[in-house]
Amino acid sequence: MEVRDLRKTFRVTERDEGLAATLRSFVRRRRRDINAVAGITFGIQPGEVVGFLGPNGAGKTTTLKMLSGLLYPTGGEARVLGFVPWRRESAFLRSMTLLMGNRSQLVWDIPAADSFRVLQEIYRVPDGQFRKTVAELTDLLELQELMHKPVRNLSLGERMKVEFAAGLLHSPGVAFLDEPTIGLDISMQSRIRRFVAEYNRRTGATILLTSHYMDDVVALCRRVIVIHRGQLLYDGPLADLAERMAPYKVITATLHDGAASADLAAYGNVVARDEGRVTLRVDRHAAPENAARLVNDLGDRLADISVEDPPIEEVIDRVFTGAEPAAAP
Amino acid sequence: MIRTYRALLVATVQAAAQYRVQSVLWMLFSVIRPVIFLAAWVAVANAQGGRVGGYDVRDFAGYYVALSLVSQLTMAWDAYEFEFEVRMGRLAPKLLRPLHPIHYAVAWNIVWKLTTIIPLLVVLALVTVSFDVRFRTTPAHVALFVPSVLIGAALAFVSGWVLASVAFWTTRVHAVSSLWDRGAFIFAGQIAPLALLPGPLQVIALALPFGYMLGVPAEILRGGVDVPTGLTLIGGQILWLSFFLIAFQRVWRAGVRQFSAVGA
Repeated sequence: MEVRDLRKTFRVTERDEGLAATLRSFVRRRRRDINAVAGITFGIQPGEVVGFLGPNGAGKTTTLKMLSGLLYPTGGEARVLGFVPWRRESAFLRSMTLLMGNRSQLVWDIPAADSFRVLQEIYRVPDGQFRKTVAELTDLLELQELMHKPVRNLSLGERMKVEFAAGLLHSPGVAFLDEPTIGLDISMQSRIRRFVAEYNRRTGATILLTSHYMDDVVALCRRVIVIHRGQLLYDGPLADLAERMAPYKVITATLHDGAASADLAAYGNVVARDEGRVTLRVDRHAAPENAARLVNDLGDRLADISVEDPPIEEVIDRVFTGAEPAAAP
Repeated sequence: MIRTYRALLVATVQAAAQYRVQSVLWMLFSVIRPVIFLAAWVAVANAQGGRVGGYDVRDFAGYYVALSLVSQLTMAWDAYEFEFEVRMGRLAPKLLRPLHPIHYAVAWNIVWKLTTIIPLLVVLALVTVSFDVRFRTTPAHVALFVPSVLIGAALAFVSGWVLASVAFWTTRVHAVSSLWDRGAFIFAGQIAPLALLPGPLQVIALALPFGYMLGVPAEILRGGVDVPTGLTLIGGQILWLSFFLIAFQRVWRAGVRQFSAVGA
């Protein structure tokens, strides 16, 4: 998958509130251009699972829609499996899938098993392969009980599992997953996560997924692409995101009784203090030295110490809110 | 494609089976309107000594029975359905499948017509008996009726999709399709057989597409026109169908492009 300088500008109609403004807008519309995607470039190797991150309105879904062929871009180029997506050639549509957590593509009034049959014919999946794929998906997603109930009688989580299976029946080589776990409870989220990982392992499919749940990303993606206001902010290993985006580390020191009141401000910014546990924010490069001093100075008053990257949610949040690098001693 | 259609038809029958009552009500709708007009024309004819134009009471009955059947076989509601799909975001997943979205609608129309035809025939048989209906139908008329009703159905269906495609630009098509339905009401042969429309209106009716969806197949079925006239009218049907097929291809392509430009 190759994406170069991809852009999408939407023209929206605007008006002020109130009756007069409504009547005015009826005669003369005020329009404004919104750059939903403002020129992003990246490439994804076959078989990669990449997390696509950004706050609401960052341009994630717009990008996925362009890459799956649903939207014409305003500018730029993209090739997915060698195809230009928005030409929507049958061979392309047969080899990719776009799953949106909040959209349904199954017929509500009939059981999933019957919808699957229709999809088999639409995607021209040979009988043998179809049976094998359905058996695999049924096994991975535990669909046995759900296949023969009308889709409208399924719960949200059950429906999501069935939607997943429907979207993957034709064994697509590329899957775009837009918020695949939205609205699901914790255990269903983790089941979907395990499923996606297993699916990638078994089939070697390339997966690009967006999610607001960092757990999804941490569990599935070694690489992340971060966009904000339609522009690419970061593209690289998830593990390096913190280093690039948050120039600090977190030292957590657990102190023995009696030392709980010790002043640790000399070793870093004290950001939390809970009983004997003190959390310090320390400049990334100074972290090893500060931690060593702390161990030396406190001696056996120190029960435990850890030096870690800040939680990924915090890093992402800092990126999106445009926070200045932490001022750490 | 045959296998795809078989699967689509099976799934559609299953979905339609969930809404049996609705199907029967829709079927009645295609009978009620013609029966009301039939009653009105019977009253008019009786008041004028039994005839209006070339139609006596039994001819009117024949025309409206034929019209009910044709209306059932050719009627398509796709414009309303399509607007709903666009508004609710149901169209997007269909656009991402390697099958034109029109095929789902074709399957739905076939199933709906076939599943309601039996009860409709029962109702029409009752009307036929109670009004002592006269058909002037010959085997030649039946031979003409088959292509005529098929073309009429295709015409109603394809023109409905052209209208529905307006939803790509406006999201709402209700106003446009209502206007279209009013046109059909006057010029398709519903309020009166086309032959009874006053001179200029008749010319307009024959120039517009509406009559070729309903009135023309109905007149052919009841044997109200001779064979050469029937052939000419079928020629008119073919012209209008060709026009709408070409229009549909263009409008659809532009519409999908518009849809995918503004946010699918």
